Amino acid sequence: MIGLEEQVTTYILYAIPIYMIAFSLYIVRALKGPTIPDIVLAIDALTYDLAAFLVILSIFFRSPILIATAIVLALWVYSLDIYVAKYLEARELGE
Amino acid sequence: MVGFDYILVIIGEVLIAIGIFCDLVASIGMLRFPNFYVRLHAATLGTIGGAVVPLIGAALVAAGSDFLGTYRWFMAGGAVITAILVLMLAPAGSHALARAAHRSGAAKVFPKIADHLEEDRGGMK
Repeated sequence: MIGLEEQVTTYILYAIPIYMIAFSLYIVRALKGPTIPDIVLAIDALTYDLAAFLVILSIFFRSPILIATAIVLALWVYSLDIYVAKYLEARELGE
Repeated sequence: MVGFDYILVIIGEVLIAIGIFCDLVASIGMLRFPNFYVRLHAATLGTIGGAVVPLIGAALVAAGSDFLGTYRWFMAGGAVITAILVLMLAPAGSHALARAAHRSGAAKVFPKIADHLEEDRGGMK
Protein backbone atom coordinates (compact mmCIF):
# COMPACT_ATOMS: atom_id res chain seq x y z
CA MET A 1 0.00 0.00 0.00
CA ILE A 2 1.57 3.24 -1.12
CA GLY A 3 1.52 6.31 1.07
CA LEU A 4 -1.29 8.85 1.07
CA GLU A 5 0.89 11.75 -0.07
CA GLU A 6 2.30 9.85 -3.03
CA GLN A 7 -1.15 8.62 -4.06
CA VAL A 8 -2.73 12.11 -4.00
CA THR A 9 0.20 13.62 -5.91
CA THR A 10 0.11 10.92 -8.60
CA TYR A 11 -3.67 11.27 -8.98
CA ILE A 12 -3.48 15.04 -9.48
CA LEU A 13 -0.55 14.59 -11.86
CA TYR A 14 -2.73 12.40 -14.08
CA ALA A 15 -5.69 14.80 -13.76
CA ILE A 16 -3.82 17.89 -14.99
CA PRO A 17 -3.55 16.94 -18.75
CA ILE A 18 -7.30 16.20 -19.00
CA TYR A 19 -8.04 19.63 -17.55
CA MET A 20 -5.62 21.12 -20.10
CA ILE A 21 -7.49 19.43 -22.98
CA ALA A 22 -10.83 20.80 -21.70
CA PHE A 23 -9.36 24.31 -21.28
CA SER A 24 -7.96 24.32 -24.82
CA LEU A 25 -11.38 23.31 -26.23
CA TYR A 26 -13.02 26.18 -24.28
CA ILE A 27 -10.36 28.59 -25.60
CA VAL A 28 -11.06 27.47 -29.19
CA ARG A 29 -14.75 28.33 -28.70
CA ALA A 30 -13.85 31.65 -27.05
CA LEU A 31 -11.62 32.61 -29.97
CA LYS A 32 -13.95 31.66 -32.81
CA GLY A 33 -17.36 32.27 -31.18
CA PRO A 34 -19.51 34.02 -33.78
CA THR A 35 -21.34 36.38 -31.40
CA ILE A 36 -20.50 38.23 -28.19
CA PRO A 37 -22.69 36.01 -25.92
CA ASP A 38 -20.86 32.93 -27.21
CA ILE A 39 -17.49 34.41 -26.26
CA VAL A 40 -18.70 35.49 -22.83
CA LEU A 41 -20.29 32.09 -22.17
CA ALA A 42 -17.08 30.26 -23.11
CA ILE A 43 -14.98 32.53 -20.88
CA ASP A 44 -17.58 32.03 -18.12
CA ALA A 45 -17.34 28.23 -18.17
CA LEU A 46 -13.54 28.40 -18.61
CA THR A 47 -13.06 30.62 -15.57
CA TYR A 48 -15.30 28.61 -13.23
CA ASP A 49 -13.37 25.50 -14.19
CA LEU A 50 -10.12 27.40 -13.71
CA ALA A 51 -11.19 28.21 -10.14
CA ALA A 52 -11.71 24.50 -9.45
CA PHE A 53 -8.36 23.75 -11.12
CA LEU A 54 -6.59 26.31 -8.91
CA VAL A 55 -7.95 24.62 -5.77
CA ILE A 56 -6.66 21.27 -7.03
CA LEU A 57 -3.29 22.87 -7.87
CA SER A 58 -3.07 24.30 -4.35
CA ILE A 59 -3.21 20.72 -3.01
CA PHE A 60 -0.58 19.69 -5.57
CA PHE A 61 1.84 22.52 -4.75
CA ARG A 62 0.97 22.57 -0.99
CA SER A 63 0.43 26.34 -1.08
CA PRO A 64 -2.79 27.58 0.59
CA ILE A 65 -2.53 31.07 -0.93
CA LEU A 66 -4.01 29.83 -4.24
CA ILE A 67 -7.43 29.40 -2.57
CA ALA A 68 -7.85 33.19 -2.30
CA THR A 69 -7.25 33.61 -6.04
CA ALA A 70 -9.95 31.01 -6.81
CA ILE A 71 -12.60 32.92 -4.80
CA VAL A 72 -11.67 36.22 -6.50
CA LEU A 73 -11.78 34.56 -9.94
CA ALA A 74 -15.33 33.24 -9.37
CA LEU A 75 -16.57 36.68 -8.26
CA TRP A 76 -14.81 38.44 -11.18
CA VAL A 77 -16.38 36.32 -13.88
CA TYR A 78 -19.85 36.83 -12.37
CA SER A 79 -19.35 40.58 -12.64
CA LEU A 80 -18.27 40.09 -16.28
CA ASP A 81 -21.55 38.25 -16.96
CA ILE A 82 -23.67 40.95 -15.35
CA TYR A 83 -21.87 43.82 -17.10
CA VAL A 84 -22.09 42.22 -20.55
CA ALA A 85 -25.78 41.36 -20.02
CA LYS A 86 -26.50 44.91 -18.91
CA TYR A 87 -24.66 46.34 -21.92
CA LEU A 88 -26.41 44.04 -24.40
CA GLU A 89 -29.83 44.87 -23.02
CA ALA A 90 -29.60 48.63 -22.49
CA ARG A 91 -26.51 49.69 -24.54
CA GLU A 92 -25.02 51.41 -21.51
CA LEU A 93 -23.10 50.24 -18.48
CA GLY A 94 -25.04 51.94 -15.70
CA GLU A 95 -23.67 54.27 -13.09
CA MET B 1 -8.21 -1.17 9.35
CA VAL B 2 -8.31 1.66 6.90
CA GLY B 3 -8.04 5.09 8.43
CA PHE B 4 -10.73 7.77 8.28
CA ASP B 5 -8.41 10.10 6.36
CA TYR B 6 -7.96 7.48 3.67
CA ILE B 7 -11.74 7.16 3.17
CA LEU B 8 -12.08 10.96 2.89
CA VAL B 9 -9.32 11.08 0.26
CA ILE B 10 -10.85 8.24 -1.78
CA ILE B 11 -14.31 9.88 -1.80
CA GLY B 12 -12.72 13.19 -2.79
CA GLU B 13 -10.81 11.58 -5.65
CA VAL B 14 -13.97 9.94 -6.96
CA LEU B 15 -15.73 13.34 -6.93
CA ILE B 16 -12.76 14.92 -8.74
CA ALA B 17 -12.95 12.15 -11.37
CA ILE B 18 -16.68 12.84 -11.93
CA GLY B 19 -15.86 16.54 -12.26
CA ILE B 20 -13.12 15.92 -14.82
CA PHE B 21 -15.46 13.76 -16.92
CA CYS B 22 -18.21 16.43 -16.83
CA ASP B 23 -15.65 19.10 -17.72
CA LEU B 24 -14.38 17.21 -20.77
CA VAL B 25 -17.90 16.44 -22.01
CA ALA B 26 -18.95 20.08 -21.51
CA SER B 27 -15.97 21.41 -23.46
CA ILE B 28 -16.68 19.06 -26.37
CA GLY B 29 -20.32 20.14 -26.31
CA MET B 30 -19.34 23.81 -26.15
CA LEU B 31 -17.28 23.29 -29.30
CA ARG B 32 -19.80 21.29 -31.31
CA PHE B 33 -23.28 22.59 -30.41
CA PRO B 34 -24.91 24.72 -33.13
CA ASN B 35 -26.00 27.98 -31.48
CA PHE B 36 -25.82 30.02 -28.29
CA TYR B 37 -28.97 28.70 -26.64
CA VAL B 38 -27.88 25.08 -27.05
CA ARG B 39 -24.41 25.96 -25.74
CA LEU B 40 -26.02 27.18 -22.51
CA HIS B 41 -26.72 23.52 -21.80
CA ALA B 42 -23.01 22.67 -22.07
CA ALA B 43 -22.14 25.67 -19.91
CA THR B 44 -24.46 24.41 -17.15
CA LEU B 45 -22.75 21.00 -17.25
CA GLY B 46 -19.35 22.67 -17.21
CA THR B 47 -20.05 24.92 -14.23
CA ILE B 48 -22.13 22.76 -11.91
CA GLY B 49 -20.77 19.35 -12.86
CA GLY B 50 -17.29 20.52 -13.76
CA ALA B 51 -16.60 23.09 -11.03
CA VAL B 52 -18.84 22.52 -7.98
CA VAL B 53 -18.35 18.74 -7.78
CA PRO B 54 -14.51 18.78 -8.01
CA LEU B 55 -14.41 21.69 -5.54
CA ILE B 56 -16.28 19.57 -2.96
CA GLY B 57 -13.94 16.69 -3.84
CA ALA B 58 -10.87 18.89 -3.41
CA ALA B 59 -12.20 20.01 -0.03
CA LEU B 60 -12.49 16.37 1.07
CA VAL B 61 -9.00 15.55 -0.25
CA ALA B 62 -7.53 18.58 1.53
CA ALA B 63 -9.32 17.69 4.78
CA GLY B 64 -8.00 14.15 4.69
CA SER B 65 -4.39 14.92 3.71
CA ASP B 66 -2.14 15.00 6.77
CA PHE B 67 0.92 16.09 4.79
CA LEU B 68 -0.56 19.54 4.12
CA GLY B 69 -0.08 20.59 7.72
CA THR B 70 -2.40 22.84 9.72
CA TYR B 71 -3.37 24.86 6.68
CA ARG B 72 -5.42 21.97 5.29
CA TRP B 73 -8.49 23.19 7.19
CA PHE B 74 -8.07 26.61 5.60
CA MET B 75 -7.86 24.94 2.17
CA ALA B 76 -10.91 22.75 2.80
CA GLY B 77 -13.01 25.69 4.05
CA GLY B 78 -11.94 27.89 1.16
CA ALA B 79 -12.82 25.17 -1.33
CA VAL B 80 -16.31 24.72 0.19
CA ILE B 81 -16.89 28.50 0.14
CA THR B 82 -15.80 28.67 -3.51
CA ALA B 83 -18.16 25.78 -4.33
CA ILE B 84 -21.12 27.55 -2.68
CA LEU B 85 -20.26 30.80 -4.50
CA VAL B 86 -20.09 29.05 -7.88
CA LEU B 87 -23.32 27.19 -7.12
CA MET B 88 -25.11 30.51 -6.53
CA LEU B 89 -23.41 32.74 -9.10
CA ALA B 90 -23.11 30.55 -12.23
CA PRO B 91 -26.88 30.00 -12.85
CA ALA B 92 -27.63 33.67 -12.13
CA GLY B 93 -24.95 34.89 -14.51
CA SER B 94 -25.81 32.59 -17.39
CA HIS B 95 -29.53 33.35 -16.94
CA ALA B 96 -28.90 37.10 -17.14
CA LEU B 97 -26.70 36.58 -20.21
CA ALA B 98 -29.31 34.43 -21.98
CA ARG B 99 -32.09 36.91 -21.22
CA ALA B 100 -30.05 39.83 -22.54
CA ALA B 101 -28.97 37.90 -25.64
CA HIS B 102 -32.56 37.02 -26.51
CA ARG B 103 -34.00 40.47 -25.82
CA SER B 104 -31.32 42.34 -27.74
CA GLY B 105 -31.18 39.86 -30.63
CA ALA B 106 -27.42 39.47 -30.32
CA ALA B 107 -27.58 35.70 -30.80
CA LYS B 108 -29.92 34.36 -33.45
CA VAL B 109 -31.90 31.16 -32.90
CA PHE B 110 -30.70 29.73 -36.19
CA PRO B 111 -31.63 26.04 -36.61
CA LYS B 112 -35.07 26.70 -35.18
CA ILE B 113 -38.42 24.91 -35.20
CA ALA B 114 -40.37 27.34 -33.01
CA ASP B 115 -39.46 30.32 -30.82
CA HIS B 116 -42.51 30.92 -28.62
CA LEU B 117 -40.80 33.60 -26.52
CA GLU B 118 -40.24 35.73 -29.61
CA GLU B 119 -43.86 35.20 -30.73
CA ASP B 120 -45.12 36.25 -27.30
CA ARG B 121 -43.18 39.49 -27.54
CA GLY B 122 -44.84 40.18 -30.89
CA GLY B 123 -41.64 40.04 -32.88
CA MET B 124 -42.82 37.43 -35.40
CA LYS B 125 -40.28 37.50 -38.21
